[in-house]
Amino acid sequence: MVGSGWIVGLIATIHVLFSHTSVGAAIFFAWLTQHAHRHNKPELLEFIKRYGLFLLVFSYVLGSITGPGIWFATTVASPRGISALIHSFVWMWATEWVFFVIEVVGVYMLVYLAGKVDVKTHTRIAVIFGLTSYTTMLVIVGILSFMMWPGHADWTQTGGVLNAFFGPNTFAQLGMRTAFMFTMTAVVGGIVAGSFKDLAQKKLIGRQLAVLGMVSTLIGAAMLQWYLSTLPGTAELVLDNRLPQHFPIALMTAVGGALVYFALTWLQPRFLVSGLAGLMTVVVLIFGLWPEEVARESIRKPWVAGQYVYSNQVIGKDVPGAGVTSEIPKIEAHGFLGTHIFIPENLRKITAQNQIEAGHALALVACSNCHSLSATGMRPLQQYFVGQHSVADISQYLQAALSSGNTLYMPQIPLNDEEASALAAYILSAKKTSATALASVKE
Amino acid sequence: MSPEMLYALRDQAGVPAHPLIFLALGVLTFALHMVAVQVMLGAASLTLWGAFQRDQQWRRLASAMLTTAKIAVSVAIVLGVAPLLFVQVIYDPFWYTSNVLSAWWVIGFIITLIAAYIAMYVFYWQNPNIEAEGGHSGIWMVISLILFLTVGFIVHTLSQQMFYPEKWMSWYAPNGHIDPTGLKLHQWHASRYLFFIALSSPIAGAWLIAYRRYLLGAGEIDKGYLNFLKSLSFKLIFAGGLISTALGSAWMLSLPEKMTWFMGSVWMWIALAALMIIVALPWVLQNKLDKGFGGYAVFAGATISLIVIGTSREMLRFVTLNMAHQYNALDYRINMDWYSTVLFFGTFAIIGGTTLAYLLTVAWQAGQTKEGIYKPSQTITRLGQWSVGLLVAWTLSYFAVGFWVWAR
Repeated sequence: MVGSGWIVGLIATIHVLFSHTSVGAAIFFAWLTQHAHRHNKPELLEFIKRYGLFLLVFSYVLGSITGPGIWFATTVASPRGISALIHSFVWMWATEWVFFVIEVVGVYMLVYLAGKVDVKTHTRIAVIFGLTSYTTMLVIVGILSFMMWPGHADWTQTGGVLNAFFGPNTFAQLGMRTAFMFTMTAVVGGIVAGSFKDLAQKKLIGRQLAVLGMVSTLIGAAMLQWYLSTLPGTAELVLDNRLPQHFPIALMTAVGGALVYFALTWLQPRFLVSGLAGLMTVVVLIFGLWPEEVARESIRKPWVAGQYVYSNQVIGKDVPGAGVTSEIPKIEAHGFLGTHIFIPENLRKITAQNQIEAGHALALVACSNCHSLSATGMRPLQQYFVGQHSVADISQYLQAALSSGNTLYMPQIPLNDEEASALAAYILSAKKTSATALASVKE
Repeated sequence: MSPEMLYALRDQAGVPAHPLIFLALGVLTFALHMVAVQVMLGAASLTLWGAFQRDQQWRRLASAMLTTAKIAVSVAIVLGVAPLLFVQVIYDPFWYTSNVLSAWWVIGFIITLIAAYIAMYVFYWQNPNIEAEGGHSGIWMVISLILFLTVGFIVHTLSQQMFYPEKWMSWYAPNGHIDPTGLKLHQWHASRYLFFIALSSPIAGAWLIAYRRYLLGAGEIDKGYLNFLKSLSFKLIFAGGLISTALGSAWMLSLPEKMTWFMGSVWMWIALAALMIIVALPWVLQNKLDKGFGGYAVFAGATISLIVIGTSREMLRFVTLNMAHQYNALDYRINMDWYSTVLFFGTFAIIGGTTLAYLLTVAWQAGQTKEGIYKPSQTITRLGQWSVGLLVAWTLSYFAVGFWVWAR
């Protein structure tokens, strides 16, 4: 089965491609419109008209759906994580929404009124569109940074949006995203520019895109280093130990490949063809955005929001400034099964008859956010216990590794003796079921 | 699910302003979202019908409505973000549970919406000149409409499931055995869903009256087309009003026990009155539809009526959850955050107001200019300069405040 985390990651990656492209293109359009009018280059206006129509479909349609789509996906994958963000930043999101509304009106006007309004008015619409697109990024970056860790060190004591929102990670991430959004603009812009029949026009625009792409990629690579230096210590450990080894290679391939592509199209604009630009878009998506989004999702673990909501939806830390108290002491006192709302009454007390089913319920509430409970999917739980083990072995391991909260990447999961045994029994049972299923498939 | 359990599902962080503000903004933005949805459904249906008629007036209308439908989808999506945000603030125990119980449908919502929008664009690309050539590949618009209605049904179901905390555990763990698949939609109310869909007929009719007035303002000389629009819009409003009333009555008569208080309540009568106003307005303003604000007043009135109907819908939810489950959405703990509250209302009123006033005025006047290049007046241009200045000031203040917080 596909894990919910993968679905969130997939939608987020696609959304980043669309949204960064459209924000970058919005600013690039504003500059191009001004340039075209000032230097009397109608071919650039034609480019805007063509690229704008393409942008409407490519970025706005899909970007505007996948944006709320992340909300929807996160709602089912991590409801208390998204709730924590919503309850802190609802007005920031609402502010972004105001810009979003202006942006959508702006993009339709920019495209449909090209050539129908005077030069200054068209330029002004482009500038408004570009500015509002960028302000949407300004808002969302602060929220994304909070997901990693609160902007200000004393936020847990003070609470409040200001200290949650602004910090070094916010500005480093903003710099990195700003640069790479221009890289994506230059890559995706090539798909349209590549279809121009007029070689002189293609050369002119191709070179502008190439310069934009090279400069932004180099700045983006530098900003990435700054961003990495602003991460919490635990994130660095996760980066070094938990991420697939091919991620850095993939990222370097995306950055290096983009630079080679831009250099090539600058030197030989005839190489700027839609197919190659399309291929480059896919390269950036697979080798750049996917590892970047997965890494960003992973390195904040075991937390999903503000370093106080665990990935398994338990509040793991006190935040006096926000009036939030940790749920760990309550779980330690009464157990997961005794405190979790969505546990059937017949499973709240473990018996010999319901042990495996109670273990399944525990796996669902304590583990399934990050671990697939089937044999496939995201980090399958049963694959952590290869070989022959007894219920006692696994139970002992679970309590030793998880009850203190000192295991890297893992939340504190204070299972009592009965719960640990039930979870262990379930894991063994699931392993047996998978092995039986595999054997029957082979037969 | 006891009231204590529902309250335990609330976010501990509280809300950053009085919950009534989120409730009110939720109603307002939901109603505006629904107006855009209903315009889209009406315009798409008229496109589908009109493009395949021999009559030139129908084809012209289909062409115009296809553009309307495409833009209305964008507007509906953008406006839909806001009520989605606000429902999570004060109804989080209900919204999140309902979503998780039907998780795959929630993910399916996104895919279906993308497919619906792309199908509409495919129809658009396949039909570059409906007026001259008529329509073809109508299957794409049929697919698009079916998928949009499916999307609406998914959201309707998610909203319905919020009403039934007493059934949540039996849906999640039938007979005590957990079913974590999230594959099922559990609870819907057909007449309620169809009532809101049927409203697209009178709303689309009101939109056509405004479109007709817009054409008149732009110097339209085809009297036959104007008469066709008037006749069609009146029919849509009247027939749609009747069907909506019938479906609304079916909804009221099939209300589950916990909601029967709504039947015959003041909120029901207010909603019915609002529906009647939508139907009556074109006849009341019959002699004023061709000049001044009269032609636009019908759509404006219909929008206000939708806000009133949306308010009644919210009262149905608020009171039912309060009476049947002792959940009071307005007693959410307030954890006041002045910075973000002032930032939103300032941005909404000042930047949103100024910039949208500028953009919409330019769009409007440029559209009314039949020949030559449109050049706005000095006053409008000044509004545009203010818009740019305000956006720059907002951006600068972001960095100023941010660096100050960072440096502290």
